[in-house]
Amino acid sequence: MSADAMLKVEAVNKSFGGVKVVQDVSFSVARGGRTALIGPNGAGKTTMFNLISGVIGMDSGAITLDEARIDHLPARKRIGVGLSRSFQNIRLMPHLSVVENILLGQHSRIGGLGELFAPIGWISSAPARAEAMRRLSEAGVDVDPDAPVAGLPYGTRKRIEVVRALMSQPRLLILDEPAAGLNPRETADLSTFLKSATADGLTLLVVEHDMAFVHGLCDHTVVLNFGRLIYDGPTAGVRDDAAVREAYLGARAATVGGAGRAA
Amino acid sequence: MSGYASGIVAILCINLIFAYAVFITAAAGQLNLGAAGFQAVGAYAAASFSNLGWTPGWATIPAAMAVSGLTGFLLAFPVLRTKGVYMVLATFAFGEVVSGILLQTSLFGGAMGMVVPDYLPLSSLVAGAVFATLLVFFLMATRFGLALRAIHDDDLVATVMGVNVRAMQVAVFTIGGALAGLSGALYAHHFSFVEAQYFNSTLSIFVLLFVLIGGTQTAWGPLAGSLFFTLVPETLRIGGSWRFVIFGAAIVLMMVVRPEGMITRTLVARFRRRPAAVKPVAITVGEPHVR
Amino acid sequence: MTNATAIGAPMKSITTKALVVVVIAAVFALAIALGGRVIAQQIVSGLMLGAIYLTVAVAFTLTIGVLNFLNFTIPSLFMLTGMIAWGLREKGLLGFAGGWAWLVALIAGVVVATAASLVVERFTFRYLKTRHGDATEHAIPLVSSLGFLLIFEHLVILTLGSESQRFSVPFKADIHLFGLVIGAPQLVSLGCALLVVAALTFVLKHTRMGRALRTIAENPEIASLLGVEVTRVVPVLFLLTGLLCGLAAALFTVNYGDVSPFMGDHVGSKAIAAMVLGGIGSIWGAILGGLVVGLTETLSIHFFGGDSVEMIIWGLLLIVIIVRPRGLFGAVAVGKGKL
Repeated sequence: MSADAMLKVEAVNKSFGGVKVVQDVSFSVARGGRTALIGPNGAGKTTMFNLISGVIGMDSGAITLDEARIDHLPARKRIGVGLSRSFQNIRLMPHLSVVENILLGQHSRIGGLGELFAPIGWISSAPARAEAMRRLSEAGVDVDPDAPVAGLPYGTRKRIEVVRALMSQPRLLILDEPAAGLNPRETADLSTFLKSATADGLTLLVVEHDMAFVHGLCDHTVVLNFGRLIYDGPTAGVRDDAAVREAYLGARAATVGGAGRAA
Repeated sequence: MSGYASGIVAILCINLIFAYAVFITAAAGQLNLGAAGFQAVGAYAAASFSNLGWTPGWATIPAAMAVSGLTGFLLAFPVLRTKGVYMVLATFAFGEVVSGILLQTSLFGGAMGMVVPDYLPLSSLVAGAVFATLLVFFLMATRFGLALRAIHDDDLVATVMGVNVRAMQVAVFTIGGALAGLSGALYAHHFSFVEAQYFNSTLSIFVLLFVLIGGTQTAWGPLAGSLFFTLVPETLRIGGSWRFVIFGAAIVLMMVVRPEGMITRTLVARFRRRPAAVKPVAITVGEPHVR
Repeated sequence: MTNATAIGAPMKSITTKALVVVVIAAVFALAIALGGRVIAQQIVSGLMLGAIYLTVAVAFTLTIGVLNFLNFTIPSLFMLTGMIAWGLREKGLLGFAGGWAWLVALIAGVVVATAASLVVERFTFRYLKTRHGDATEHAIPLVSSLGFLLIFEHLVILTLGSESQRFSVPFKADIHLFGLVIGAPQLVSLGCALLVVAALTFVLKHTRMGRALRTIAENPEIASLLGVEVTRVVPVLFLLTGLLCGLAAALFTVNYGDVSPFMGDHVGSKAIAAMVLGGIGSIWGAILGGLVVGLTETLSIHFFGGDSVEMIIWGLLLIVIIVRPRGLFGAVAVGKGKL
C-alpha cells in the first residue's frame, strides 16, 4: 500500500488546550485514488485537513507528500508542492468576482515578477482568464463571470470554490464537505465533475457526511472517531465494520441506515 | 485659470496622490492612520534636499519618495505584527512621533518650518497626480492587485492559495510610503514652505476618510473620495462651521447608506457589463464567516 | 479571538503584574529621593491628571473590548459636558440654583453627553448589517464616529463660540500634606474615578448585564444565540461611555477651571495612549495606563519642556505596540472586526 501512497499521515497528534483532537492517527491516500475521510461530528476531520494543509501546526507526527516531508512547510508553500484545498464554510473572497476568485486559484503558478505585474483584468482573452472560463463551464457554473460572488446561490459558490482549488493544478486535492448543502441533483453533478477532474491522475481526499456521495465517488475510506482512527479500508466495507457501527450507532443511527441503503 | 481655481486644483492633486498612498495599503486591509507622518517625511526630505541646492530642482522628488518609501518599508515590519484596531493605533502613534520629532529638531526649523527654494508649477502636481492614479489603477489590474484584494477579504485563504501575505503587505507599505512622500514633496515645492503643524493627526484622519468613504475595493474609490471631499466643501459656499457639520452628517449618512464606500466592486461591475446581465446583489451574505 | 476576555476578568498572573507595579513605584520612589519635594509635587499632579485620563481610557477600552469599535466621539462627549455646563451658566439659565449653579451645570452637561452618546449608538451600530468579515470592516463605525466628532465639535463652536472659557467653582481648598500641595477637588476626582471604575468592574463581573456584555465581547453571534438581546445591551455600553466621559470632563472642569471646544482632543488622544499602553480591552490596564501617561506628561514637562510631551508619550506608545502589541495588561491582540 505504501508503494503507491501519495499522501502519508504518520502518528499525528494535535491538542487544543488539554483536549486531544487528533490522537496518533496514521493513514495514507493512494495515488490517483479517491479517498473519503468520514466520522461523527467532532471526530477531528476538519482538524486533520487543517493539519495537512498547514493552516494549523501539529504537535507531533509526520505528513509526507510523495515521500517528501511537508509538515514543516508554511501553509502558503504547500499549494506549491501540489496540495490544494477547499473549506467547509465557503471561503470565497466576497468582493472579488467569480472569475477573479478562480484567477486567485492560479496564484501559486505565477512564475516571476513579470507575471505578477502583468495586467490580467484588461484583456478579456488573456490565457489565464480563458483557462478560468473553461474550468468554470466544465464545472457547470453558468453565471456572469464578472459578478461579485457575494450574492450568488449557495450551490454555485460551493462549486466555484472547488474550481478555484483545481486552478493550482494540484497533485492532491482535499475538499472539506463539498456536497454539504447541495440538493440531490447538484450532488450528482458534483460527483460526475469530480470523477472527470480526477480522471487524469489527480488524487482526491474528501471529508463528507453524505454517505451516498461517498459510496458513489470514493473507493477507499478512512474513519475517525474522537480523534482516533477506527477504520481504514475499502468504502464497501465501512458499513459492516463493527467499530464504525458502534461509533455511529449511539448518536447517528439514522446515518448508518442511510449508508446501508446507499451501499 | 484664476488663482482660486488653480489653488483648488493644486490641493486636489495633492489630496489625490495622498489618498492613493492610503488606498494601496487599505486595499490589502491595512488602515493607516498616520499617513500625515509619511507625507511629512517626504515634504521635509524634499525641502532639505532643495535647501542643499540640488540641481535640477525636481531631483528632490524621487529622492523624497525613496526616503518615505524606505520609512514605509522599515515601519512595515513592526507594524504588521499588529492587526485591526491595533494597526490603526500603531500608525496613529507613528504619525504623532514624526510630527513630534520634526517640531523638536532645529535642523528642520522646529516649529518655524522650512522655506523651500525651488518652486514647481501646477503642471508638475497634475503630472504627479496622473502618475499616481495610473500606477494604482495598473497595480490593481494585475495579479499583484488581485492578491491584495484577496488579503483584504480573507488573509487565511489567501495564504492557502499561496499568496505571500507578509511580503505583499510590506510591498504596499513601501509603495504607500513613497506615494505619500510624493504628495508631500510636491506640496513642499508648490507652496514653497513646510511646517510640522500642518502634518497633524487631523490630516491623517481626513485622508483616511477620503479613502474609506470613496471605497477601498476599486481604484475608483480614492478618486471619487478626494474629488468629493475637495470640491464639495468648496461649492458649499456657506460659512465655516456649518460646512463641517454638514460634512460630518454626510459621513454618518454615507456609512448608513453605503458602508463599503461610494464606489464598490458591484457598482463598477454594473457599469462595465451589460446592465441586464448583472443580477442585483444583496448587501448581506448568507453564511457568516466562522473564525 | 477572545481579545475582550480581560473585560471584568480578574488579573491573571498576579505576580508579573505586581512586579510591574512595584518596579514603577520603585522608579518614582527613586525619583522622589533624588529630586525631593519638587518631583514629589510633579508626581502628585501627574496622578491627578492620570485620574482624568484613566476615566476616559476606561470608556475607550469598554467599547473596543466589547464591540471592537474605536469610538472617536469620546473626545467630543468629554468636550460637550464642559461646554454645555459653561454655556448654561453663561446664558444665565441656572439662576434658580444659586451657589450650586456650577454643580447643576455640570450634571446637565453629563446628561447631554450621555444623550449624545445614545444618538451615536443609534447611527453607528443599529444600521450596520454588512458582515463579510473582511479586514476593513471594523472601520465602518469608526468612520461614523469621526463624522459625529465633526458634528458635535462644530455645533458647539456655532452656538458657544470657539474661545477657551473660564469655569470657576466657588471653593478652593488645598490640602497641605508633607509640604505638598494637593487640591481637594483633585483628590476627590482621583477617588471618584477609582470608585466608578471599581463599581464598573463589579457590575461586569457579577450582574446579568455584565455577563451579557462579556458574552458579546466573546462572540456576538453566539451571544444572540444564547438569548442576549444585543440591541438592548449595546445601548447600555454607550450610556456608560457617556457617563464616564461626562464624569471625567466634570472633574477636569472643576480641577483646571478651563473649558473649550477643543478640550476633548488633547484628553482623548492621551486616553487612547493610556488604553493602548495598558492593553486594549483591559479595565485594569486602562487604569494603570492612565496613571502612567499622566505621570509621564507632568514629568516630561518638568524635565524636557512642554514641547516634548507628545513625542515622548507617542514614542513610548509606538515602542509598546511594537514590542508588546497586547500592552502591559491586555489579553490577546485584537484581530479582525466582529459584530
